[in-house]
Amino acid sequence: MTTGPMTPFDHRPDPRLGEALRAALEPGDQAAFVARVVAAAARPARTLDVLATWARRGLAAAMAAAAVAGFLVGRGGEPATIPEDTLAPTSAGAASIALVTAARPPDASVVFTTLVNGSR
Amino acid sequence: MKPEPPSAQPPEGPARIEDEAELATRARAGDRAAFGRLVERFAPQARRVARAVLQDPHDADDAAQDAFLAALVKLDQYDPRRPFGPWLMRIVANAATDRRRRRTVRQVEPLAPELTGGGPRPDREAEQSALGDRLRAALAELPERRRIAVVLFDVEGYSHAEIAQILGIPEGTVRSEVFHARRRLRELLADWR
Repeated sequence: MTTGPMTPFDHRPDPRLGEALRAALEPGDQAAFVARVVAAAARPARTLDVLATWARRGLAAAMAAAAVAGFLVGRGGEPATIPEDTLAPTSAGAASIALVTAARPPDASVVFTTLVNGSR
Repeated sequence: MKPEPPSAQPPEGPARIEDEAELATRARAGDRAAFGRLVERFAPQARRVARAVLQDPHDADDAAQDAFLAALVKLDQYDPRRPFGPWLMRIVANAATDRRRRRTVRQVEPLAPELTGGGPRPDREAEQSALGDRLRAALAELPERRRIAVVLFDVEGYSHAEIAQILGIPEGTVRSEVFHARRRLRELLADWR
């Protein structure tokens, strides 16, 4: 297309190629297009557009609420401790209490004995 | 090299940016005439860029209109210290690409044999029209980003840096895209004088 010193490496616009492309892409009636866009901009927003806007706002509000809730929950600190008494079965004897409050896990036979005694 | 309607010659350089910023500010405040001025000023290049992506002129106009309306909504995101054109062209390119992705009916026609060279030379009356057909077909063979890059550079006169901003790619990639587009277009148009 272009003859002369210009090559694809040139960092300047190629006026001949540019002119040819411009002519090839030249749109039609400019004034009609401008009038059409300005008229479209003046029209009230379509229902779907409004709903889409609401949906975006709703999503943003939900995300903000989730963030606030997450912050408040995280700010609560350590979960409340449960008194050992509440862990002890009310119907069990001292053996059951000792089992629950033991520092180390009990032997399986102790658990079995405790269950058998508790069921009597 | 940026085109303007003959009736509305805008200022150049910093004065132009100031003028565009003023129009954008007024448009944002609801001044329809200011918005109309911006549309008038940028419609030719917006429509050409959209057509480079979509080929079909009606689709291109729809995309360009979508872009102007989107720009109107987003005017608060425009930095008035910078030129309006690159900001708008980014919206145009995105609108055209979105429309092209949604489009299923209209497809790009392959290059006709008479357009690929070796066919009969049209007479002088039809020459310009045939060159346009041939260029559009040649453009359609390029990858989309390459097409946009060469049109923004060689037709609309944007710098590599501005095109990089518009397309969201490194400046070096823009140079490469323009280079490959030019080389391919020249190959396709080699026998045309």
